[in-house]
Amino acid sequence: MTRAAVLSRAAFGLALACVPALAGAQDDARIARGEYIAHAGGCITCHTAKDEGAAFLAGGRALESPFGTFYSPNITPDPETGIGGWSDDEFVRAFQDGISPDGDAYFPAFPYTSYTGVSREDLLDLKAYLTSIEPVRQANREHDLPPFMGSRTAAGVWRSRYFKPLRFHPDPDRDEAWNRGAYLVRHLGHCGECHTPRARLGALDAERELAGNPDGPGGEKMPNITPHRADGIGRWSVSDIEYFLDIGMEPDGDFAGGSMAPVIEDNTSHLTKEDRRAIAVYLKSLPALPDDE
Amino acid sequence: MLRRPLCFIAAALACGTTFSALAETTAEDAYSYRESVMTSLRGHIGAASAIVRGLVSDDGFLLDHAQGLATGVAEIHRLFPAGSAVEDSEALPVIWEKPEEFDAAILRAEEATEAFRKAVADGAGSEAIGAAFRDVGMSCRNCHDNFRMEK
Repeated sequence: MTRAAVLSRAAFGLALACVPALAGAQDDARIARGEYIAHAGGCITCHTAKDEGAAFLAGGRALESPFGTFYSPNITPDPETGIGGWSDDEFVRAFQDGISPDGDAYFPAFPYTSYTGVSREDLLDLKAYLTSIEPVRQANREHDLPPFMGSRTAAGVWRSRYFKPLRFHPDPDRDEAWNRGAYLVRHLGHCGECHTPRARLGALDAERELAGNPDGPGGEKMPNITPHRADGIGRWSVSDIEYFLDIGMEPDGDFAGGSMAPVIEDNTSHLTKEDRRAIAVYLKSLPALPDDE
Repeated sequence: MLRRPLCFIAAALACGTTFSALAETTAEDAYSYRESVMTSLRGHIGAASAIVRGLVSDDGFLLDHAQGLATGVAEIHRLFPAGSAVEDSEALPVIWEKPEEFDAAILRAEEATEAFRKAVADGAGSEAIGAAFRDVGMSCRNCHDNFRMEK
């Protein structure tokens, strides 16, 4: 064997040896991106119970709504009580179409109405992350709903009446920051699920995007975050909003309480400064709407 | 007119000797004083934030605000005498139920504000000052999340 052939074989062998390592590095990168999506998507806040020592992402957190109390499910990779057995397509369909692997519609307490615009790539990164965490065997708690709501049929009827799947397409007339902000606010971060008022039967009132919701989750009044000067956050600069999403401080030195506190803790404070800024740029671009009288 | 004295008597009965050190201080006085100190802290942190973020020039005033924060926060431990949770107060009962947790949260704020004051006084770079100020904010938020009523 010539020297060149030996070298060539050695190089080939080295390349082969590197394949698993390379795949491992790609998996790690995907998991890291997925962890970021889990923060940006607010998964942690809803899917981890509030009790001290509650298992991470194993569900059980109560979400009170005018329609009853929902309990978030286990999204750890446990094959029986979690999402361990889900295929990529089933996972994507849950978010983009609001349909569970069993073929049932979700109640919109799972905000697929916003998540529908999240890209398949982001969702599969998220799935890679969720698959990488510690599986927890913990059965899901039944929702506490009135009889007329108590079946998946009701969820299916709601979905067929009020839900339209859509993908997010960047607006070519806007810059990159605005488009990133729109994606985060409208879809992944699902800000409107709390800050946009709901019309009949809980569908979001698109005409009043982010103009405040007098009857938010848990009966809490959610503030108007449009740039209206008196009723919204019109006096806040992009920097003010960015800083608020980082540490929870309002421009006047007060601190966010209520249900925004865990959002800052689990979600927005983990984002890059660029992403927080993109959210601010998008919010500043919205029509300034007064509170509804 | 009757409500305040009754409130004070009830508070005093509930907390036994707590007010003995503040013989003339009513629950309302303690609450109003606390609100005043907290409002001054809010002013200092809001002003410091504007300078730290470069929205307003420093001109030597950041140190005043940093000092104001450190001084005010060093006083928090005496702002919550038992029984001072009057009607308008946003102070949660957990302050008095779990004093060791509250003390730990205050200590964290004291250390953060002192580190921020020192960073500004020592003329640390903007990045170090920004990081120290962020710690101050996080320590404030920590208390407000855990010990103040949701608004």
